[in-house]
Amino acid sequence: MNYRAVIYILGWVLVIEGAFMLLPFIVGLIYSEQQGFIYLAVSIATMLIGAIAVLSKPKNMNFFVREGFAVVSTSWIFLSIFGCIPFIITGEIPSFTDALFETISGFTTTGTSILTDVEALSHVSLFWRSFTHWIGGMGVLVFLLALLPMTGGSHIHIMRAESPGPTVDKLVPKVRETAAILYIIYFVLTMLEIIFLTVGKMPFFDAVTITFGSAGTGGFAIKADSLGSYSPYLQWVVGIFMMLFGINFSFYFLVITRRFRQAFKLEEVRNYISIIIAAVAIIIIACAVNNSMNVIDGNSWTFSDKLRHTFFQVSSLITTTGFSTFDYDKYWPEVAKMVVIGLMLCGACAGSTGGGIKVSRLTILFKTVKKEITMFFHPKRVLKIKSDNKVVNHETIRSINVFFIAYTMILASSVFIVSFDGHDFSTNFSAVVATLNNIGPGLSGAGPACNFSFFSPLSKYVMMFDMLAGRLEIFPMLVLFAPEFWKSIFRK
Amino acid sequence: MSIFDKLVNITHKGLKIIIIGGGKIGSTLADKLTLEGNDITVIDNDPDVVEELSATLDIRGIHGNGSSYTTLMDAGIESADLLIAVTASDELNLLCCALAKKVGNCASIARVRNPDYSEELSYLRDRLDISLIINPELEVAREITRLLHFPSAISVNSFARGSVDIIKFKIPAENILDNLTISEFQHRYKFNLLICVVERNGVLTIPDGDFCLRSGDIISFISTPKVAYSFFKKIHLESRKVNSAIIVGGGKTSYYLAKSLMQSGISVKIIEQDEARCTELSSLLPESLIIVNGNGTEESLLMQENLSQTGALIPLTGIDEENILLTLYALRIAPNIKAVTKVNRTNFSSVINELDLGSVVYPRHLVAEIIVKYVRAKKNSLGSNIETLYYMYDERVEALEFNISSNSDFLNIPLKNLKLKKRLLIASITRNGRAIIPGGDDVLKLGDSVIIVTTNKGYSELNDIFEG
Repeated sequence: MNYRAVIYILGWVLVIEGAFMLLPFIVGLIYSEQQGFIYLAVSIATMLIGAIAVLSKPKNMNFFVREGFAVVSTSWIFLSIFGCIPFIITGEIPSFTDALFETISGFTTTGTSILTDVEALSHVSLFWRSFTHWIGGMGVLVFLLALLPMTGGSHIHIMRAESPGPTVDKLVPKVRETAAILYIIYFVLTMLEIIFLTVGKMPFFDAVTITFGSAGTGGFAIKADSLGSYSPYLQWVVGIFMMLFGINFSFYFLVITRRFRQAFKLEEVRNYISIIIAAVAIIIIACAVNNSMNVIDGNSWTFSDKLRHTFFQVSSLITTTGFSTFDYDKYWPEVAKMVVIGLMLCGACAGSTGGGIKVSRLTILFKTVKKEITMFFHPKRVLKIKSDNKVVNHETIRSINVFFIAYTMILASSVFIVSFDGHDFSTNFSAVVATLNNIGPGLSGAGPACNFSFFSPLSKYVMMFDMLAGRLEIFPMLVLFAPEFWKSIFRK
Repeated sequence: MSIFDKLVNITHKGLKIIIIGGGKIGSTLADKLTLEGNDITVIDNDPDVVEELSATLDIRGIHGNGSSYTTLMDAGIESADLLIAVTASDELNLLCCALAKKVGNCASIARVRNPDYSEELSYLRDRLDISLIINPELEVAREITRLLHFPSAISVNSFARGSVDIIKFKIPAENILDNLTISEFQHRYKFNLLICVVERNGVLTIPDGDFCLRSGDIISFISTPKVAYSFFKKIHLESRKVNSAIIVGGGKTSYYLAKSLMQSGISVKIIEQDEARCTELSSLLPESLIIVNGNGTEESLLMQENLSQTGALIPLTGIDEENILLTLYALRIAPNIKAVTKVNRTNFSSVINELDLGSVVYPRHLVAEIIVKYVRAKKNSLGSNIETLYYMYDERVEALEFNISSNSDFLNIPLKNLKLKKRLLIASITRNGRAIIPGGDDVLKLGDSVIIVTTNKGYSELNDIFEG
């Protein structure tokens, strides 16, 4: 393994993180909060440490799959460790475990919080918390790829390791330009959402932080009731934008380059929209049948209220954002809660900022099962699985199957470890699903109106691992457990 | 073009190029052209090839049929600047190029190597509106023919329509050049030639006057062919033309080579294993050619065909290892034989260089030289056009020829007053068909063609050689 190159890239990641930390400092100046200077100090320290690694560029920058995985997993760990230092120093989250949990939850765009009172946080820390979502959504290494001129074609391995989805399609031939295009789309969508929210008279600070939360499909809100107290217009805007950020970004690229027909034919995007519509319909019907969701917290809801809140929740869960407008855990019938679990597992499109298993993977898994069944009737039938009218090659199908198996294994073992805490099954299971899929809230004890501070440190560390594994699509994190990885380090 | 495209293209200088076919030549081109900053999309019908290429190079790979409209649209033919078709099939290549012109109105380059078309290439080019048709086998044959005219040279690169050559050779042991500095050499012999590059133990130098030559050095000099001839005579290097040659293997290259060698009066023997191919060659080529049906790698057959008395051996089998072994064997039994070895793959080139094979021809490089030159010339339509490009010394040195076709501020200024970049040499100026080896007082004029030798890469216009 080429450690020098890995360390060099790690250095750059820290330099960029340090630079990002200057933004909270500026927020601190605006609100004249003391905490801003702590961020400034940490920012400078982080940049200095990064600069040491960056100063000497290794001659050999050969990068292969293993270096790509190693650099991505270690970067995200370092990113989180350095990112949590301000929370500890400002004393707002004094415990290291909790601060790290909150930061990992931020960078992985999970949005699960251990804070009992969000509104007690300073503006600076609230901003940084939400901003980690925005950084983590598209990925800091993709950002690095857009900035750093690297020679050779091998940095595709970094992109592959960090970008979600079974296959990574380059939009244009060069990695650097692809990364730049992704960030431009991301940035423009973010600006649009901020504008729409400000037009709807949301305070500017709220607009910015809520937008970061929905752009990265993160879900840290700045109020205790998440988005419950905002006007219906604002809830619609956030709901729609969450859905937009969950769409595969190649859709936007096709739209921008005026290939509309191709864009609207994308199988994954069509399935994604269909699932959202179906889920909303099922939940509304289920509630009508059960006579629930009629009177919430003393207010009786009209059909448009029900539609808005249901759509918001569905959009928030399938994109793995985790914002909520009301405590659905309390008011929804069991059928609707099963839909919630289904949406959580499903996740958004590949190539978006969302987490989860991804619609494209599920589509292919579904087709594999369908193929297997038809093979019982025609054992000699030759049938290739297609997606977007292109044959999905065997390697991709294999990797999807393996992903699914590894995913299930991690899910099961995490639930097992967390259950030592002694909470009920629904809480444990939904908490692990919520962290592994980077959603945020789960059900019962881990529901939208609760926080995760009651879990034991062991459970928290398990969930931290789940969050990272979920964001990086499992294998970069599992590589850290491979004996070969450590052997080659200590052999030197 | 939308604002979005412009945003992305701010830093962008390269061309958008689609390469169809990711084989040996396709991948070499993708590699070279990406490094020069172009946007490359490779289309191949083998998913494994696409996967491999897009994992190792900074390109976009598409699995599909390059002559299908949908695939080409997917590859972005509408905004492409150039399409290069290098699949195994000539007809497919031509179809791709014709389609590219109709769909995307972009320039196109096709590889066409079937001898049936070789007479009709310019007709095809005009009719189908293709910018360039290349025939690698024919290029290889031409290169080998050139080398047989200068048997003491390792390589010969021609510029300005053959009026100037850069010739590379190895200084033999106990030669009169041994232990001579460049200025002593100029003083003593007064040849109108310039030593451009010297390679010693793998290290390249662009020498100055104090540089001392040693035997064993591999040096490149530039001069007119006539001066080169008398220079070789003076330093007692054999330079008489080869008069007989054995070609091992009867592929397309052999056909072109045999034809061109016989035209220049060299008697040729082809040894080919496949009887059907022998019959075919015999019907295609004149009667005076000797076609032997047999295995060219058998010592007894080579003896029987009088290898030791032959002027040149050219192994052109499809297997690199066989070609190399044949050359080594020939040099052993006949040390004075001129051998030209064709090496298809470029792997392990450092090992091959150490083998002392004499002249080695890499078909991939020949094609890359032509296409890279075309791309660089297309990239800028400024005053000085790149006319010729050669890779020398295993691609570590580039020799470029520029035509000065419009006014620039560096014209008519003595060269000693111009600030040139480091590691480059103005090797020659051709003015009105006369080659000048430039000194500090010479100037560049409108209409000149200038030859630059440099270890820097990627120059596409004459302005690039000046500092600042």
